[in-house]
Amino acid sequence: MNTMPRYVANLRQALAPIAVAAGLLLLWQGAALLVRTSYLPPMTDILPLAVNLVASREIFPDLFATLARLFVGLSIGLAIGIPLGLVSGRNRAVEDFVAPLLGMLYPVPKAALMPIVMLWFGAGDLSKVLIIVLTVSLPLVYHAQQGARAVDEKLIWSAQAIGCSPLRRLMLVILPASLPEILIGARVAMVIGVIVTITSEMIVRQSGLGNYLFTALDMGQYALTYAVILIVAALGFALDWAFERIRRQLTLWAPDRQGVDIAVTS
Amino acid sequence: MTMALAMVAVLKRSYSILLLLAAWEAATRLGYAPAALLPAPSVVLLAMARDATNAHFLGDLSVTMFRLFSGLAIAISLGVALGVSAAQSRLGPMLLEPLVRVLSPLPKIVFFPAFLLLFGFGSFSRVVLVVIDAIFPALLAAYYGARAVDEKLIWSARAAGMSPTACIFRIALPAALPSILTGVRIAIVIGCVVVFLSEMVAPEDGLGDAMIRAARSFDTVQMFVPLVVISLVGFLLDFAVVRIRNTMVNW
Repeated sequence: MNTMPRYVANLRQALAPIAVAAGLLLLWQGAALLVRTSYLPPMTDILPLAVNLVASREIFPDLFATLARLFVGLSIGLAIGIPLGLVSGRNRAVEDFVAPLLGMLYPVPKAALMPIVMLWFGAGDLSKVLIIVLTVSLPLVYHAQQGARAVDEKLIWSAQAIGCSPLRRLMLVILPASLPEILIGARVAMVIGVIVTITSEMIVRQSGLGNYLFTALDMGQYALTYAVILIVAALGFALDWAFERIRRQLTLWAPDRQGVDIAVTS
Repeated sequence: MTMALAMVAVLKRSYSILLLLAAWEAATRLGYAPAALLPAPSVVLLAMARDATNAHFLGDLSVTMFRLFSGLAIAISLGVALGVSAAQSRLGPMLLEPLVRVLSPLPKIVFFPAFLLLFGFGSFSRVVLVVIDAIFPALLAAYYGARAVDEKLIWSARAAGMSPTACIFRIALPAALPSILTGVRIAIVIGCVVVFLSEMVAPEDGLGDAMIRAARSFDTVQMFVPLVVISLVGFLLDFAVVRIRNTMVNW
């Protein structure tokens, strides 16, 4: 089929996104030079600013505020979502209870709950983390449920036959067997986690990258606005890329899946 | 008898929601949660019914629906057209896959300030945001759906003298339809969420703006109404697509 040596294919695989990103930046530069408006500063103004924001550590407090919320929210979401999903994938009664609630929450714009949750828990981190947990739990529960449901019954019977308790079966058989599906859910969770964190910071502006972005916009510093956009976009891509590498390593034994699952991430 | 069975089935599929709503209603009615902070579901529903005749609210609703539907129409038609044609051409793996790999994991909402600068605070920037957010699920679903089409079908059609364009419309597109409709479902929900958020982040008009206005005057009931309405729109559209898929794709 493919006559390309493997390392060439790997190199192409790795270089293609870089080439695409460079192409997009060049396209931008061309458009900016053509239009010449302060609303569309050239990349040659934006890129140095973005580098400087990181090198001078000016962006660090907001960057870390965003990452800390994301990390705490994701951790709690994983701790709640995965067990809940696994149990409801194996137990009809739990599924009948959980599935409708998930279906109801799914189309709700979660970040839009921010003004309501704020009334209860204030404008601080608690409200934001709560919303991140709510958002990232949905794909985690869903995928863990799908994974647990598809576990080979023979594996479970064998575990039962050698006297494995239900809890041990869940931890030692169902969890590892569902891991590929769970990790797909975790990838979706991470990407929408970034989105909801930044959006909630845009709606309630106190700290974080979303806040920094709109502060720059409100002050009319357009090149700075674009520099922050670039940084957040790079962050979103880098997090997804890193996670995808970890996921591949953890599930080398499972057949690779491709398709619409990736689309859910946007 | 079948009526009763259907009722039981519906109840089984929704009793946890009813339970949650009942607990919520009871919590406010019995005074465990102050009504000013958490209005009872019945109060929110009544306010929704009242807003249905309020010209101002209907104006917000129609603005949001206009943005949502134009954004979704562009995203879905463009995404499906690009995806299906890229699947048939060598440009697909060469250009489209790397492009999608870079762009689809980006948090698209972060580009919204740029759209505000370039396209103003009106509907256009919000439609653009809906398009770039909702296009990826439609595009990817169409691309992978059309790629999964049995190549022998295309070869035999080509051998029988069908033109490449006819192949796309008469073989690739119908064969990719189940996958495309899955992508459309995701696109719809993303579109609803994103149009609402765009109106909250840069309030001007629309349902999201209605929620922000209510928040400024601490009117919790009116904060819930736009949120419930947009979620309901997403839910009903999604439901409609599932129905269409079930009737159309029964082979």
